[in-house]
Amino acid sequence: MSTSTATETSARFAAFDRTTSIWGPITLGLGLLISLAAALYAAFGTGVGVTPLELATAVGAVLATFGIIAVIEPVSYFPILGRSAMYQAFLIGNIANKLLPAAIVAQANLGEKPGTRRAELIAGSAIIGAVMVHITTLILLVGVLGTWLVGMLPPPLIATARSYILPAIFGAVVLQSVMAMKSRRTTIVAVVVAAAIVFVVVPLAPALTYFATALAVIITIAASWFARSKTPLSPADADAGQARRTTPISEPIH
Amino acid sequence: MVVAVVDPGSTDITPLIHHPVLWASAAGVFAVVILQSAIYFKAIRKAAPAAELTPGQVNSSVRSGAVAAIGPSLAVALIAVSLLPLFGTPAVLTRIGLVGSAAFDVAAAGISAGTQGAQLGGPTYTQKIFAIAFAAMTIGGLVWMLTALILTPVLSKGDAKLRKVNPAIMAIVPTAALLGAFFTLAFQEVLKSPVHLATMLASAAAMGVCLLLAHRFRLSWLREWGLGVSIIVALSTAYFMTAAA
Repeated sequence: MSTSTATETSARFAAFDRTTSIWGPITLGLGLLISLAAALYAAFGTGVGVTPLELATAVGAVLATFGIIAVIEPVSYFPILGRSAMYQAFLIGNIANKLLPAAIVAQANLGEKPGTRRAELIAGSAIIGAVMVHITTLILLVGVLGTWLVGMLPPPLIATARSYILPAIFGAVVLQSVMAMKSRRTTIVAVVVAAAIVFVVVPLAPALTYFATALAVIITIAASWFARSKTPLSPADADAGQARRTTPISEPIH
Repeated sequence: MVVAVVDPGSTDITPLIHHPVLWASAAGVFAVVILQSAIYFKAIRKAAPAAELTPGQVNSSVRSGAVAAIGPSLAVALIAVSLLPLFGTPAVLTRIGLVGSAAFDVAAAGISAGTQGAQLGGPTYTQKIFAIAFAAMTIGGLVWMLTALILTPVLSKGDAKLRKVNPAIMAIVPTAALLGAFFTLAFQEVLKSPVHLATMLASAAAMGVCLLLAHRFRLSWLREWGLGVSIIVALSTAYFMTAAA
């Protein structure tokens, strides 16, 4: 038959919602458990002698720095992704640079704007396609080709790559983030706070070294908040704010 | 493959980064991703008629998504390869395959090595440091999954709550956190050595050029490839500086 009754339509969507709200969390949870197991095994099962305190300190320092972004991201992406795609997106990551564009292109191809049920299904399909390409390129280009390539590199090159990968990444990332965020005030605050902490505070109080980044994050947030423009947002600004929210937050840099 | 002895103090981290358990977890992660995609695909196909989507349209959406992902995937692959010397293949596959991002994972690893007074790469990068770095960056990445798991049902029920949150918070807080964290990390690198400083400047310069060209000539793919290109340029700079020394 060519047309569905209203009840059949809602029954189909109900079934979709049921499946995705059960299997979405299950698969995301599985991913979580597998990686947790790997992390704990690496720390405690391999016999390298990591103590729980050492791991807790390391994790604590990382979470104090990035935890807040981890809480805000789901909130920002939810309106765009919709409920079912959240479980796909937060399993795979690469949301802003890969999954979102894939979803948007597919929706545009079928002339559908985000927000409808139809758009939700299209987005889910597109993400599946993107994920398959993601996995394939990782396995072939990184797993096989990359490993072979790196195996051919002379040790001095490997040593260089290890020793200097941090500045090699951060220089680009900082610039990219500054350009992407388009927020002069916050940028200035961040530079000042970071410089103060790294060049002044930590040398004076070396005990703070571990938590330099966490401290910088907290102070930058507080200072940016107080330094924010107090004028109420005009509709144009509000739209720009909305646009910025949907711009890559933590992922200018995949 | 010879599985050499696990030795915490050893700077030969090869036995650890290629540990079978790490390979198994990489395989496990990919299997879960494929499983989820299969389940979602079936669910979408079943619901498609209700949304007036033909099976053909579903398939073509999958194809559009796949094609759209090619460019970004290649760009990410380049970045991932640049991380292979540091973390080894299974760790990189797991992290980039799962909610991972080069910048965050490297930052997390660097921070956690710092808590032990060590650095990534160099003489202090022992098996133990790799283990802590891997564990900490993995657990850091988990938190995203956890918050997504907890918040998604909450957000589904309470759209109204979202609107009560001051939009300025959503605009300012993540920006401040991101910039604060990465500027601090960048400045810390500057302190380490002139080569670190030069590498960072080279990286920023390369990115600047990519962004400029992308903007001027409207080459949006350059934006995607910016980080990968910058890493190569920066590492080359570091190599020539240290080789010339």
